[in-house]
Amino acid sequence: MQTSKTLTGPPPLESGWLSRVVSSYAVRTLLQALLTIWAVVTFTFFLIRLMPGNPIDVYVGFLMNQSNLTYGEALQQAASQFSFDPNASVFQQYLGYLGDLVRGDLGTSITSTGTQVVDQIARFLPWTLFCVGLGLLISFVLGMTIGMLIAYYRNSVLDTAVSFFASVLGAVPDYIWGLLILVVFGVQLGWFNIGELRGTYDPGLTPGFTPAFIWSVVRHAFLPVLVYVIGTLGSWILNMRSSTTSVLGEDYVNVARARGLTPGRIATTYVGRNAALPLFTLLAVNIGLVIGGSVIIEELFVYKGIGSFLFFSISQRDYTSMQGVFLVIAVSVVVANILADLLYSSLDPRVRIEGER
Amino acid sequence: MTGVTTPQGPVERVPVLEVENISVAYAAARGAVRAVNNVSFTLHKGEALALIGESGSGKTTLALALIRMLVRAAKVTEGRVRYVKNGAAQDVLGLSEREIRRFRWSECAMVFQGAQNAFNPVLRLSEQFSDTARAHGKGDRAWVKRRTLELFKLVRLDPERVYNAYPHELSGGMKQRALLALGVLLDPQVVILDEPTTALDILTQRAIIDVLAEMQDRLGFSIIFISHDLALAAEMADRVATMYAGEIIETGTVDDIFYEPLHPYTLGLLRSVPRLSGSQDLISIPGSPPDLISPPPGCKFHPRCPFASERCRSEAPPLEDFGAGHLAACWHTDRVVEARQGLWSDGAVVTRG
Repeated sequence: MQTSKTLTGPPPLESGWLSRVVSSYAVRTLLQALLTIWAVVTFTFFLIRLMPGNPIDVYVGFLMNQSNLTYGEALQQAASQFSFDPNASVFQQYLGYLGDLVRGDLGTSITSTGTQVVDQIARFLPWTLFCVGLGLLISFVLGMTIGMLIAYYRNSVLDTAVSFFASVLGAVPDYIWGLLILVVFGVQLGWFNIGELRGTYDPGLTPGFTPAFIWSVVRHAFLPVLVYVIGTLGSWILNMRSSTTSVLGEDYVNVARARGLTPGRIATTYVGRNAALPLFTLLAVNIGLVIGGSVIIEELFVYKGIGSFLFFSISQRDYTSMQGVFLVIAVSVVVANILADLLYSSLDPRVRIEGER
Repeated sequence: MTGVTTPQGPVERVPVLEVENISVAYAAARGAVRAVNNVSFTLHKGEALALIGESGSGKTTLALALIRMLVRAAKVTEGRVRYVKNGAAQDVLGLSEREIRRFRWSECAMVFQGAQNAFNPVLRLSEQFSDTARAHGKGDRAWVKRRTLELFKLVRLDPERVYNAYPHELSGGMKQRALLALGVLLDPQVVILDEPTTALDILTQRAIIDVLAEMQDRLGFSIIFISHDLALAAEMADRVATMYAGEIIETGTVDDIFYEPLHPYTLGLLRSVPRLSGSQDLISIPGSPPDLISPPPGCKFHPRCPFASERCRSEAPPLEDFGAGHLAACWHTDRVVEARQGLWSDGAVVTRG
């Protein structure tokens, strides 16, 4: 039986370790992540250069308006201030950018001369992560609880009312909610002094773990967080409702009742845990969506996070800053997906990553 | 060791479950579906009672009523279920929510059909055994583990491996056996098995039946066995009850039912079982089960019965004793006796194991 021996024998050594490395979960995930980020970076690099105008044009227009310079004078001044050469070919710019990126250098801002993009991101990103993270966490927990509750009482008046309410929440985009809240509670009812709530905290306060500062942060974050909660709550409720409804029909829930388990144990470990599983995948998708959506919300509430920074950079055609922000968004989506994967696999043994037990 | 007694020899006639005139109705748009009608039986200690009959004859509904697991639309409209343990009787239908929760599994365990999905996919089997024990106040970890491993061995599973396994790591037959082990974890007096071997291949079925027989032998629980597989029922049961349209229409020992059936429906069921020799034609029962919302008057079986007379069409026959606990509800048992001649004359293979 010569043939069978060669068929079942071990593969040649040199391809053996390589395929093992490539097939290892960590390496595979990392490669995928890098590939995704590279694709996003490349795509956005060329896309933002397709926008009409460039940083110098924008600044020239600004100077001509402001100081009554002629076009030639303004152009000269703008070009001398900006570290941007509009005559370099786009491909050259791209190679230069990639080269810098590999070395971890995001470059300097084109319009705010001398400012590192990394520093800008470090200044604005934490606020966005704080707001988006908190908003998603609240709406995820709230939505799962409510969704599960109405699934338990499905087809009751409560269910009908809440489902309707959730559909409405989910059907209206979050920036509409933001506008509504601003107009109704800020302007007409005057419950919030929206002028005072600009920015991420009251001016004049020193950041630190002081009650005054924390209270200020909470007040300023309240409305954006509320909008993130409202904008995502409906879909969590409806998803959890349908997921719970299908789990409630599973044999193991019925058997658990026959086993005389307490209703609490059945609701949490048998129904809740299984029903929540598909929602974790959605969570990862949502993190990306909400960070992307923060551009409008932060602009609306004049909240100085990464979204409003992106808005500002776009209006300035500050290519390097924009690239920096898009990179951050891409990375956060990729990281959120990996985290959701890990979380999912720790919750569901059926998809547990090989090699791990 | 707890509960591992060996009641060898003849079954003592100690009742554990007495069901009296129980009826169950489902609320439907067209009216009440009377799925179980006036059913009475007594299950004795260590006895295996098989409920046989077509799909929709009320077997599973009856079983669910016994542990009060009926769906919301179904109600027990009358009757009584008495559970006897150590000489003290409990009224099962009168237990509070809390009491019935405790009653389930520790006194009366029900192994549903389709064990493939009976375990929570995200918990190890060990956790599902221990949370069952904990729910019934038997939280002693060491005891639960010892008992679980012992039961795994009894159902011929590799104890250590299965103990730490997740459900998806087990085959169908293994899950079924694990479920049987879980069923007797708390040493219940009654185990209800609803089609325990459906969806398993024939060899696995065999293994499950062997394991079950051995378990019953060792642990001495009573079984209510729901099946439409007559061969299996013949092998497993001490007594058989035939159900038709929500009623028990004949009951007796296995020998009574399989060799001397008195009800035309039972006879029909037996005739529709294929024989190995193939010398006898299969005869199916014509027609289909009656509408349970407005059942036919008189004997519910009369529209499908070859012996039906005028009396059958107007007057429902009572369940009458034809000697030694062999009961049948038929006006024309004499004709059945005549017709059953030669039922097994071909040296049938459906015999007791």
